Amino acid sequence: MMATLARATLPTARVIRWWPMVGASALLLAAALLTAASDRPGDLLLALASAALASLVVGALHDPARTLLEPVPVSAMQRRLLRLALAGGAALVVWAALTLLLTDSSGTHGVGPVVALASVGVAVAVWAPARSAVLIGAVVPVLLFSLGQAVPGGGPVSEVAALWHTDPWPVAAVALAACFLGRAR
Amino acid sequence: MSTATGYAPTRPAPSPLAVGVALAAQELRRMLRNPFLPLGLGFALWLLWSIDPRTEDWAGSSYEGMAMSSVSLMWAISVAAAVAFHRERVPVAVGAPVPEVVRVLARLAALVPLLALAGAFSALVAWRQRDLGGLPVGTEPGRTLDALHSAPELLQHLALGALAIALGAVLGRRMRHLAAVIPLLFLVWYLAGAFYWLYGHPVVTPFSLVQVQPTLVIIGPSDADPMAFPQGWLLSPPGEYQDGWGRLFVSTALAWWHNIYLLGLSMLLLAAAWPRSGRRALLAAGAVLAVLGVVGQFQVIP
Repeated sequence: MMATLARATLPTARVIRWWPMVGASALLLAAALLTAASDRPGDLLLALASAALASLVVGALHDPARTLLEPVPVSAMQRRLLRLALAGGAALVVWAALTLLLTDSSGTHGVGPVVALASVGVAVAVWAPARSAVLIGAVVPVLLFSLGQAVPGGGPVSEVAALWHTDPWPVAAVALAACFLGRAR
Repeated sequence: MSTATGYAPTRPAPSPLAVGVALAAQELRRMLRNPFLPLGLGFALWLLWSIDPRTEDWAGSSYEGMAMSSVSLMWAISVAAAVAFHRERVPVAVGAPVPEVVRVLARLAALVPLLALAGAFSALVAWRQRDLGGLPVGTEPGRTLDALHSAPELLQHLALGALAIALGAVLGRRMRHLAAVIPLLFLVWYLAGAFYWLYGHPVVTPFSLVQVQPTLVIIGPSDADPMAFPQGWLLSPPGEYQDGWGRLFVSTALAWWHNIYLLGLSMLLLAAAWPRSGRRALLAAGAVLAVLGVVGQFQVIP
């Protein structure tokens, strides 16, 4: 199975549309350079980058040949994992470049928020109706980020809305468990 | 002996105008069901209403915040435009009864109500500012408490609406899947709005999407006497992110030129979504307006 996936790596990398990731990365890096030049903290920009990169990673699950590939002996979840590994790797490179440029108040630069948001998006994409699964899953990270921005701080709702940022690994674990339960989908 | 075959009379094909109107009506109906529009509008309204000059984070933050309060609405308008123009990618559109130009015009006609929505939002911003009794800008000795956005500053919401439609149209028409378009649009509008302070430098502000006045122009060192500056100037004292005394430059001319730049940019973007015939004219007109807008802004900024 691993050999089949390894053989599928290059063709899959070729069919993934990379230029949304390239365009988003260029925008984020330009904003990071301007932020660094003005000596401002990069907390919000890093949070925004988490949401945008996670959305694009989930968006990379879009496979126009999904129905065509259903009879092949590699499951849909394995094909998803291959796409996620490729797009996620690219997103982590961009994230690393951003953390080199920016300083946040905590100084942690943890990759947890990206992983949490991407996991939640993938879980939604796995369980959503197949016709618009990837679209709904890709929108979830930016909506969660917006919710965290919109809800006033100090209350239980804001704490829940910011869980992906404050406790990313438990959120990622729950989302990955949901993905595991939906492995046959 | 053969008998002549009789055919039932066929209905004449509908005119391109009738097809265009029908398509526009259909797109409009679909747009009203788009969940992003109430989401974006709701967030913009919440942002507008949460701005209170009595609880400003820094001097002038409410005046600045109102200029960028519409960005979530712009994101929603862009998404609606992208969804409408993404349908043009369906291969069956090649065999449609009207050419692509008519279909593009019909989709644009369906998006016009969203421009009206942006216009209504700018009217709401104007009303809200008056309801609050004006907004503070500047620091003593150069300060006002009753600043209002000028007409071109308010019209920027409308110009941004046009830009949002053009941006959504080009990404929807040219990108394969909306799953990448929606996060990209979110990123563009969030960077343009929430990070407006990145584009406040006089060299950068003419190229910004959301221009937030006042523009800060450094006019003296930190030990300069602020009473020596002209009385009418709005001033900003030295601080954590500012080395010397600054003048907060507010100008209606700057806002007019910026709106012209935004319209030019919109035409340039729309040209990329336009079919081959007529694209060059849009490109030329857009380039002229954009360059004119940028040059005009540089002429105005001191």
